[in-house]
Amino acid sequence: MSRRLARRPRMPMSHAGRTPPFATPIYRNPAMLRLLALLLLVLPPLLAAHEGEHPSAAPATALGASAAFDGDGRLWLADVVDGRVRLRQSGDLGRHFGPATRVNAEAEDIDHAGENRPKLTFGPAGEIYVSWSQRRPKKWSSFVRFARSLDGGRHFSAPITVHRDRGEATHSFDALAVDGAGRPLIAWIDARDHLAAMQAGQAYAGLAIYYAWSDDRGASFQAERRLADHSCECCRLALVRDPSGAVRALFRAVSGSDVRDHAYALLPTDGSAAQASRATFSGWQVAACPEQGPGLAFGAGGVAHAVWYEASEGPAIWYGQLDPGHAPRHMLKLGTAGARHADVASSGRRVWVAWNQLSADGYTLMLRSSGDGGISFGAPRTLARASVAASTPQLLVHEGQAYVAWNTAAGFQLLPAERAP
Amino acid sequence: MRIPAVLLLLLAALAAAAASAPLVAPLGAGDVPALLEPPAHGQRIVMVWALDCVYCEPNMRALAALQGAHPGAVELVTVATDHIAERARISARLAAAGMQAYRAYAYADAAPDRLDFLIDPDWGGETPRTLVIRADGSRLALSGRLTAQQLERVAPAGP
Repeated sequence: MSRRLARRPRMPMSHAGRTPPFATPIYRNPAMLRLLALLLLVLPPLLAAHEGEHPSAAPATALGASAAFDGDGRLWLADVVDGRVRLRQSGDLGRHFGPATRVNAEAEDIDHAGENRPKLTFGPAGEIYVSWSQRRPKKWSSFVRFARSLDGGRHFSAPITVHRDRGEATHSFDALAVDGAGRPLIAWIDARDHLAAMQAGQAYAGLAIYYAWSDDRGASFQAERRLADHSCECCRLALVRDPSGAVRALFRAVSGSDVRDHAYALLPTDGSAAQASRATFSGWQVAACPEQGPGLAFGAGGVAHAVWYEASEGPAIWYGQLDPGHAPRHMLKLGTAGARHADVASSGRRVWVAWNQLSADGYTLMLRSSGDGGISFGAPRTLARASVAASTPQLLVHEGQAYVAWNTAAGFQLLPAERAP
Repeated sequence: MRIPAVLLLLLAALAAAAASAPLVAPLGAGDVPALLEPPAHGQRIVMVWALDCVYCEPNMRALAALQGAHPGAVELVTVATDHIAERARISARLAAAGMQAYRAYAYADAAPDRLDFLIDPDWGGETPRTLVIRADGSRLALSGRLTAQQLERVAPAGP
């Protein structure tokens, strides 16, 4: 507005002086300008209630990031800055990072708060695959987005929307894995079936899990398929390649009357129907958004090590070995009040679990490890503390060693799970 | 000065709209003790919610109806766990749920999960979380959209 005003030829003072106040253009009247400024300040939140929601500046407490080791042992970190996924590489285990690459050239409203974060993984020929959830203006509407680099992260493809469905509804909490054939698979929480049921006047508990894969190194994705009905709405999924090369998902499901246990499913890529099995049996009955999804890792003998949260008898995070259709084996309560956002990793018979422990002072990053395939665990150890916001810890394994990636408002840290010898 | 009718109308519409858009105050760790302080009489219901939470708005409406039925005995306060930087979204959502009349906060602490812990250490962060703080110092905390039976437990004993 000021630029427009500056370009206008000034009216002679004598003329302006004789003119009644509101015969002058509004932009020349200070009172009117103040009024307009007020309108501009007040209107956006009011309109937001009726016409979708306006994105806000991302708060400093939104810290969703993913770290991963590539085939050459370099650490990569994907986080979000000003609506762009930023990718950086470190040759010294996260102490220093090289220059950043912008994955998406055009800014998007990327959800990286709570358990949402950009995802990062690698293909067998050095492909870099990145996915994220893009918030849409309509309430709870989001799209799953994807981009790839075939030149080691120097350039990224223009982002694509992974799903064919373009309904303004939830497509969020994307999870990304590469199967044994080198194909990237993405699974996400999807509201289309919930909305269709509502429109038909029927009830539909929770949302659904959909997935899609790419046969052309991420240039395009096959039409999405439903993995399971009735997932919880806001908990991250765990998506991991099993020892056979198939990709499996562990996610919080809604069964019966708002029972929020977990389900476990293989993502078929041969046209067969997906079959999810109940995998945890706490019986936690609650119509709520826990915003705490499970963790999953495969160890020696194909054992599926899992961690999850439930609060049937007070808040608790658990470790167990999945036995679909039955309660997990070797269950261990890792933490109670204040224990949050666990992750698990395994290499052979070694198993590591990490979680955030809250107190009145902030966050403590905790770790326990097992040398006998998760039958028994050592005492909890403190790896780090933070008095500012900290994100969900992420356990990584590289050459048999475990590391915890921990993004806090004070900076990113990669912490070795084992003490130096 | 004279103001054109169209601007007057716009102002009136704005004033009405502004009155219906709840002001959302920042909640830091230092504000939690006052939030949890037992009220002088009756009870305070603190409903913790989140923008992502699909069960929160029905719960808000149920608690607002309960408060309306016991205006002298129940004070209702909402706390959004989303950062105060999301104030526009939070305010719009509260307005859409008809929560204009109630005191509203949003998290504004550098360590947001710590606020969860300070508000209720025996809570894993799931929303909605309904806290009832009674004048006699007793408390009740429930996770999830309240069932009819739970709403009866939340309601004050008297009228």
